[in-house]
Amino acid sequence: MLFSSVPFLYWFLPLTLAVYFITPLPASGTTRWRNLVLLVASFIFYAWGEPIYVALMAAEVVALWGIGLLLARATTVRAKRGWVGTAVVIAIGVLGYFKYADFFINSFNTAFGLSIPLLRIALPIGISFYTFQMLSYIFDLSAERVTVQRNVLDFATYVVLFPQLVAGPIVRYSDVAAQLSTRSHTLQRFADGATRFTVGLAKKVLIANTIAELATIVAASDERTFLSAWLWVVAFSLQIYFDFSGYSDMAIGIGTMLGFDFPENFNYPYIALSITDFWRRWHMSLSSWFRDYVYIPLGGSRVKPIRHFGNIFAVWALTGFWHGADWRFIAWGLYFGVVLVIEKYAFGGRLLRLPAALAHIYTLLLICIGWVLFEIAGFGNAAALLGRMVGIGTAGLAGAESLYYLRSYAVLLTLGVLGATPLPRWIGERIAAWRIGSFTPSAVLRPIALALLLLLVTAFLVDGSFNPFIYFRF
Amino acid sequence: MNMAAETKNTNKTPQTDTPTATLTEATDAVEPRTSHSSLASTLATVLTFALILGGGFIANRIYTPPEISLSERRPLATMPKLNWGTLSDGTFAADFDKFAADSFIGREQLRALKAWTVLYPFAELDKSGLYLGDSGAGRFQNLDTDSARKVAEKIARVTTGYLSGLNVYWGFVPDKSIYAGRYLPGFDPAAATAAMTPVLGSAGFVDLTDTLNANSFYRTDLHWSQPWLRPTVERLAERMGFEMVWPGGSLVDSTAKLPPSAGDFQGVYPGQLALEMDDDQMLYLPLPESITTHYFDTKTLTWVEGATYDEAEFASDDPYSFFLRGPQALIRIENPDAPNDKELFLFRDSFSSSLAPLLATSYRQITLIDLRYIDIRLVPDYIEFTPGSDALFLYSSQILNSQSVLLVP
Repeated sequence: MLFSSVPFLYWFLPLTLAVYFITPLPASGTTRWRNLVLLVASFIFYAWGEPIYVALMAAEVVALWGIGLLLARATTVRAKRGWVGTAVVIAIGVLGYFKYADFFINSFNTAFGLSIPLLRIALPIGISFYTFQMLSYIFDLSAERVTVQRNVLDFATYVVLFPQLVAGPIVRYSDVAAQLSTRSHTLQRFADGATRFTVGLAKKVLIANTIAELATIVAASDERTFLSAWLWVVAFSLQIYFDFSGYSDMAIGIGTMLGFDFPENFNYPYIALSITDFWRRWHMSLSSWFRDYVYIPLGGSRVKPIRHFGNIFAVWALTGFWHGADWRFIAWGLYFGVVLVIEKYAFGGRLLRLPAALAHIYTLLLICIGWVLFEIAGFGNAAALLGRMVGIGTAGLAGAESLYYLRSYAVLLTLGVLGATPLPRWIGERIAAWRIGSFTPSAVLRPIALALLLLLVTAFLVDGSFNPFIYFRF
Repeated sequence: MNMAAETKNTNKTPQTDTPTATLTEATDAVEPRTSHSSLASTLATVLTFALILGGGFIANRIYTPPEISLSERRPLATMPKLNWGTLSDGTFAADFDKFAADSFIGREQLRALKAWTVLYPFAELDKSGLYLGDSGAGRFQNLDTDSARKVAEKIARVTTGYLSGLNVYWGFVPDKSIYAGRYLPGFDPAAATAAMTPVLGSAGFVDLTDTLNANSFYRTDLHWSQPWLRPTVERLAERMGFEMVWPGGSLVDSTAKLPPSAGDFQGVYPGQLALEMDDDQMLYLPLPESITTHYFDTKTLTWVEGATYDEAEFASDDPYSFFLRGPQALIRIENPDAPNDKELFLFRDSFSSSLAPLLATSYRQITLIDLRYIDIRLVPDYIEFTPGSDALFLYSSQILNSQSVLLVP
């Protein structure tokens, strides 16, 4: 089920919230019964689009919960390693089978001229996210950073919690372990969560979906001009940011309403001054997962330079591969690996000494190149688009179609660019601090803005808006 | 892999030169603000959120949605059937999404809000291809040259297979968007001509592009307005070599009439755009009473006489059906007072519904054949293609872009 859909907004969410908050909290303050509500709701949420894969997810949850119990009882390093290995084999095995089997068969066929038939298995939604969440629990348990969860329902609630189930942020068990048993439900938290959710919903529906139409139109156009190339790159860059960060905002917002504190996932990535900085700000929960569970265990930077390079490229190849079973995602990951190595070893601190405007241009240019590698299928097509971005192979500077769509989407693109900076937040803070005598206008403006955004979003959804979601495929 | 060592390692002070360097300091920039929110604001926010989503849920349970959308001229989605089959293959969820959107309370007003937002605050020049300009509303139709070529191939197969000895002509109705004076020409007549001419040759081509202008079309509909088609009929007469008899004189204003209900109507675009537009007027040119029209009843397989201009149809959901009763497989218009004995076989779409009456005064008989509703292989069972007659294939941009609708094997 999509957050940005009428069934979610006007059926699932109000019903779930109503049942959740009607469910009494015992005097002990334990949230067990509410967890049960969340668990049932989460399975319904997941089954909405993927009924046949509910059993798969449930089986994985039980298996890794059981391994967690055995791991906690293990007293030797060898036994711990065995149980961690078992968990990795199960989780990565399932992920590999459902997500990557056809990729490997296809690559094998191409390399050896074979024609082994593809399995053509439907990808279970969110499998990449919940697999990483479960593994974080096993790794942290092994490292004794968390204590074992003996209640399978609480563990299942953590894994399948619907706000973050299908598209993150990747919530580690340590992030919410305490909140699974006791958490705070206040009006203030609910209001903040509702606001955060609504802002994310508006980012997704009003900006990402609308700009996605531009990206789709331009991609399908026969026009091959310099302007059309850049129009696509800018549109896609904004689409993917507002799409994914909007979804993260919604997830965090719902989590807040329900008493959870999910980790942040974005921090204005397009204002970064280097690619290193960009990856501190983009999909932060994934970056930190790879840092803590892959990079550092491999030795991180505290190894010889050649091994350090290897660690970096291993992590970035995996990061790319996590995004999709295609060579282009691996290339995309490695591309950033190369840039990060260059930034660290060749540029050193020189990037920091560049004027901010130049550093911005440098960073945005490399990000744009990255999105071309990420989204355009076929290296030849990606190369052709990159060529057009620098005037190679273009059919002129601009055509009637690109000029038309530039004009048509000028306001939205401007809104998108400004919205990707801290400017809206700065304006929000100024409004919040605004006082007229003892009256605080924001006390009225906040609910009015929330109502208007919800109304507008509903209008866009009811009229059958273009509603893709890029990160669902991961 | 030594997990014990890893454990020890990762419990140390976190390294800061990770692949992306440290991520720890950049996590609070979008943290929800709480310090400035008053209790009143908090309460108002919670109530607003609950009222809109919870109230929306309750209101939609009480509300009985209509079965059809008059503005969009389509049936609305109904509650899908729930069973294991539809649940497991995902069709229930997909159909429920459509139902939930289609049955939403206040849907028409919400559609209008979206259209207004897209066209005004967002200042987009069109809404999903629908534009609203000085000359009215329209929809961009980019030409699918491959489809246009296949339409030409189908015309060629019909000509070869069925129209031996007839004088065959072909043309197309350019999309109104090219006359709208907008930045993006939606349909390029030159490209359409270039796609079709290699198949059909240029000898029988009738170029209608310069016979039309922005006034030739209704402001609220895709179709052309009959009284403004004199240049078009003149071009056809010139290229096809028939003597044009214009029904009712040469001045539009003095000859055109309105249907009894004053002729005010809304075409398809206000509904599709979800925006209000001023009414169009359905002017028409009256025909001599001696002209009769017969419709082929596909149920009884007989010809039934009926009105050329059907006032009952004007009051229907599709007022343009006033002309020759809208979608019809075969129609025959006879004019015993024609200046010659020629027949015309008009392979057509809805645009010819308003054009054909203007040609009826010049031909003894016109047979309209809509290959969207009858397979060409069945046509000879009901009509006879008389050698020496004229045949005209006239399709709009919509048909050129969707060749599969023509039932020609």
